[in-house]
Amino acid sequence: MSTRKQGTTLFSAILILVATTVVVQLWLLSFSMEALLRHQFKPLIPAAVASTVLLSINGGLLRYVFRFDREVQRNSVG
Amino acid sequence: MVKFLTLGSFLLAAANWATAFAKNMIRKDSSTVLRLGSASDLAQNGAMLFRYPTPQDPCIAVRTAEGALVAYSQVCTHLSCAVVYDKSADQLVCPCHRGVFSVEQGAPIAGPPTRPLARVKIEQRGDHIFATGLEV
Repeated sequence: MSTRKQGTTLFSAILILVATTVVVQLWLLSFSMEALLRHQFKPLIPAAVASTVLLSINGGLLRYVFRFDREVQRNSVG
Repeated sequence: MVKFLTLGSFLLAAANWATAFAKNMIRKDSSTVLRLGSASDLAQNGAMLFRYPTPQDPCIAVRTAEGALVAYSQVCTHLSCAVVYDKSADQLVCPCHRGVFSVEQGAPIAGPPTRPLARVKIEQRGDHIFATGLEV
């Protein structure tokens, strides 16, 4: 399999993963809002921490995509 | 696409933290501490009227027959008449439509009301009684 083809498959997988984490973050936000309106404050900080962890996963994947893209471009130029 | 999703992810995380910090504002707003009087003013099986958290919110504190201290909003959940304490029956009664609430939980037990009275958190510190917040 060529690097470009590998990249397409990888990119699709990463896209699905990132989209899934964003949906989980959306759910966390709606859960936090509901908890806030019910005056239940205990789960708010853990939910925010979980959301930040998901953000860092997304950030890491984005960085990986950039690096992979740079590598593919360098190989195609070389 | 991944870039936009990550940006969205960042915004969602920020919104989550904003929600987590919003709790401090809500707590500050609803946790005004108000001294209601001395505990000796509220005899067993007796009631005391006060206004909390604003002067427009009538409330009632009751020392039950068992000696427990409870407080509720006086506003009936049916049509907003003021409930009063019926000492002989140990119940909170709305005189407008004969709604009856239990004094222990504020739950409706007879008449047209279907929702419980809003409960006021109350604390006894030494000989003083304080209202410390509203339970939603």
